[in-house]
Amino acid sequence: MKTYRVLVVEDDAPVRNLITTTLRANDYRYIAVSGGEEAVMETASHNPDIVLLDLGLPDMDGVEVIRRVRSWSNVPIIVISARNEDEDKIDALDAGADDYLTKPFSVNELLARLRVTQRRLMIMNAGGASDSVFVNGQLRIDYAAGCAYLGEEELRLTPIEYKILCLMAQNVGKVLTHKYITQQVWGSSWENDVVSLRVFMATLRKKLHAAPDMPQYIQTHVGVGYRMQRVDG
Amino acid sequence: MQHVLACLSSAPSNARIIAAAARMAQGFGARFTALYIETPDFAVASAADKQRLNENTRLAEQLGAQVETIAGEDIPFQIAEYARLSGVTTIVLGQSAASRRRILPRPSLTDQLIAYAPSVDIHIIPDGQFSARYRPKRAEDRDAAGIVTDVLRSIGSLLAATVLGVLFDNMGFTDTNIIMVYILAVMLISVITSRLVFSLIASVVSVFAFNYLFTEPRFSFAAYGTGYPVTFITMFLTAMITGTFAGRYKQQAGQAARNAHRTRILFDTDKLLSVAQGREEILRALAGQIGKLLNRTIVIYPAENGVLAEPLTYGHGAQIPCDGQMEREAAQWAYTHNHRAGATTEIMPEAAYMYLALRVGERVYGAVGIEAKDSPLDASENGILLSILGEGALALENEKNAREKEMAAVLAKNEQLRANLLRTISHDLRTPLTTIAGNASSLMSSGESFDQETRRRLSEDIYNDAMWLYNLVENLLYSTRFENGQIDLRQSTELLSDIVEEALRHIRPGARTIAYSAGDEYLLVHADARLLTQVVVNIVDNAVKYTPEGAVIEVVMRREDAMAVVEIADDGPGIAPEETERIFDKFYSGANKSRIADNRRSLGLGLYLCRAIVQAHGGWIRAGRRKPHGAVFTFAIPLKEVTFDEDLSGSGG
Repeated sequence: MKTYRVLVVEDDAPVRNLITTTLRANDYRYIAVSGGEEAVMETASHNPDIVLLDLGLPDMDGVEVIRRVRSWSNVPIIVISARNEDEDKIDALDAGADDYLTKPFSVNELLARLRVTQRRLMIMNAGGASDSVFVNGQLRIDYAAGCAYLGEEELRLTPIEYKILCLMAQNVGKVLTHKYITQQVWGSSWENDVVSLRVFMATLRKKLHAAPDMPQYIQTHVGVGYRMQRVDG
Repeated sequence: MQHVLACLSSAPSNARIIAAAARMAQGFGARFTALYIETPDFAVASAADKQRLNENTRLAEQLGAQVETIAGEDIPFQIAEYARLSGVTTIVLGQSAASRRRILPRPSLTDQLIAYAPSVDIHIIPDGQFSARYRPKRAEDRDAAGIVTDVLRSIGSLLAATVLGVLFDNMGFTDTNIIMVYILAVMLISVITSRLVFSLIASVVSVFAFNYLFTEPRFSFAAYGTGYPVTFITMFLTAMITGTFAGRYKQQAGQAARNAHRTRILFDTDKLLSVAQGREEILRALAGQIGKLLNRTIVIYPAENGVLAEPLTYGHGAQIPCDGQMEREAAQWAYTHNHRAGATTEIMPEAAYMYLALRVGERVYGAVGIEAKDSPLDASENGILLSILGEGALALENEKNAREKEMAAVLAKNEQLRANLLRTISHDLRTPLTTIAGNASSLMSSGESFDQETRRRLSEDIYNDAMWLYNLVENLLYSTRFENGQIDLRQSTELLSDIVEEALRHIRPGARTIAYSAGDEYLLVHADARLLTQVVVNIVDNAVKYTPEGAVIEVVMRREDAMAVVEIADDGPGIAPEETERIFDKFYSGANKSRIADNRRSLGLGLYLCRAIVQAHGGWIRAGRRKPHGAVFTFAIPLKEVTFDEDLSGSGG
């Protein structure tokens, strides 16, 4: 199994310590830095597999770090933010971050996010993006036929619901902001589109969640956006 | 409190008296009032006298006096009345006024004052070089046109009387009727002309005309009748006295009218100012009244924190722009020096407006500009203007005091709340921190010797206490967003079920079951997602905290008219009926503390915050009891109605 290299960018020593201890205990390799400039430099020179980035850095805005890194690299970035920085979180996601963690987070949550990102990396590396069929658990999307299935049943979706589902599937594991989704689906992000998105998402989730014991394919991140999770089986 | 009163007059020596009174007031730390008694003679006073009176008034004003004008004839009585009503303790008079005597032996002003107001101290200031007897002069420079008109009117009246007399004579009426006609003419003259001298001359002329035309021998000034000299004298005296009285009556009527006008304006001002709410309204009422009185454009620069704010203009009559550096500087000067400036004054006379300080004593509340480029205010306008400004400044002062008092009360209350908060927090933080620190130190020092189960329990306690602290800090942080009634909502349109589900993800129910039902409807609300999530977290968290293990907590959503309703019910012990209101109060943490499942006290912030948040969203929250036992919390916020472009139930893909 591959050992992943993680760049930890966190200025607070105890939190940095917590993260690196967790990483070490779970067989990750890591580099820890405390500033934004260093983070950009380390990303360029060490080419890590995943970046864990605290938004509140002393020398540079975390969002700025993402913009700089994104100018040449597609390395997955997981943002770590305090809970009252919703807008910053959305900015970070729009700037190209893949996922976020809210302080205080549990160690298990951190590890789960890392696993999700690893799976994304595997799919990206396998070049599966060009597949004409997307499979996630019981969910199957046939892009060529323009149909989606849950198990053997064809899902009865409206055109917009289908469009949203495809968008989520293409970015599986990644949190998509409301703004991103509305821009992709409607081509704009008016208030009315955002409102519509809420309702389409709710109906879509209901159709994907046919039985109570089934897993949720689409997670809601209140105030931020949505994410399709990988489901086993 | 001491109250010094100086009497204003047009005398040159008056300035000394005002200065002396001002020094005295300052020495006593007393209130200082300058009083002017406007007598009927004032209307005919010379321009120089009026000018000097204006100067003296200004001087008094500059020295910090409240200037008052009262109309009346009996000067000592008016002064004494004013002193009695306004609680004056000291009256300052000049020597000349004190010793002024009339032709008839009358008691001096001082004697009369003492008689009228025996409890007031009276100070007499020597006049020095002005000791030469000063008498106010009458106006001499009346316009010639006025005199010509008066002369013409007098001649006309006398001619008419003569014609009527000739007519009566021809008809064989007696002399008496003719005399009556002449007396009537004199009376008429005294009414229609502006000076007594005309009626005096007219009395003399009418006696001679009567003598010349109607007494034997006709057309000569001789008279045969032995009784005629008496007739002439009586006629002259009668004409003169009736003429004088009529003239005086006319003046008094004029003064009474002016007086009534002034009283009405002051009364109206008082009434308007007393109902005005807040500074803005006071200023508007003030400007309105001054504008009504003077029919000029008024501009007010209210003072804010020691500097003049943007001016407020109130149009009356010609609109002359009051902007520009010059106007502002003049207003600033008036404000800073507590002295009038601008048009018609020595300070920056090029300005279009005259600026007066709006003040109570030494405390200045702004500057009032009155458009006076080409037409200065006359003394009576000035007097009443000062009264109105005084009233206005007093109203502003009262308003400011009331506001400060209110602010102080709020501040004191906040201080109290803060002290309570700090006390409660420090007390409540100690318990979990003790557990965290103690358990962590146990794990550090002898972690290896504990068995797996003990280590797990200690770690779990640390985790739970840390989460409890975390939630407390969240609530504190959110409550700061509601400080001073200012609410900082970051609203967007959200599905209510998303919010409730997000909240339930943060709950650790332990051995309790949470039964959640979203219902079939999509309830959209325009809300601050974070805050509304915290509402659900706090209520469900309370339900977990106050119910025994095995309890069931139901979370239900539904639509009720235009509201989205969330109901959170448990089957625990419930809330006492008398507590259903109070539990939403800040820092209220329950009368019966033993009910709390863990031994930790609540901060009494959670439900307070819930109510604040729900109310900020335009909704309501209430607590109730459930049969047979348990508590129900219900809150509702307005639904957001939206329309969609696409049919949601459509099929395909």
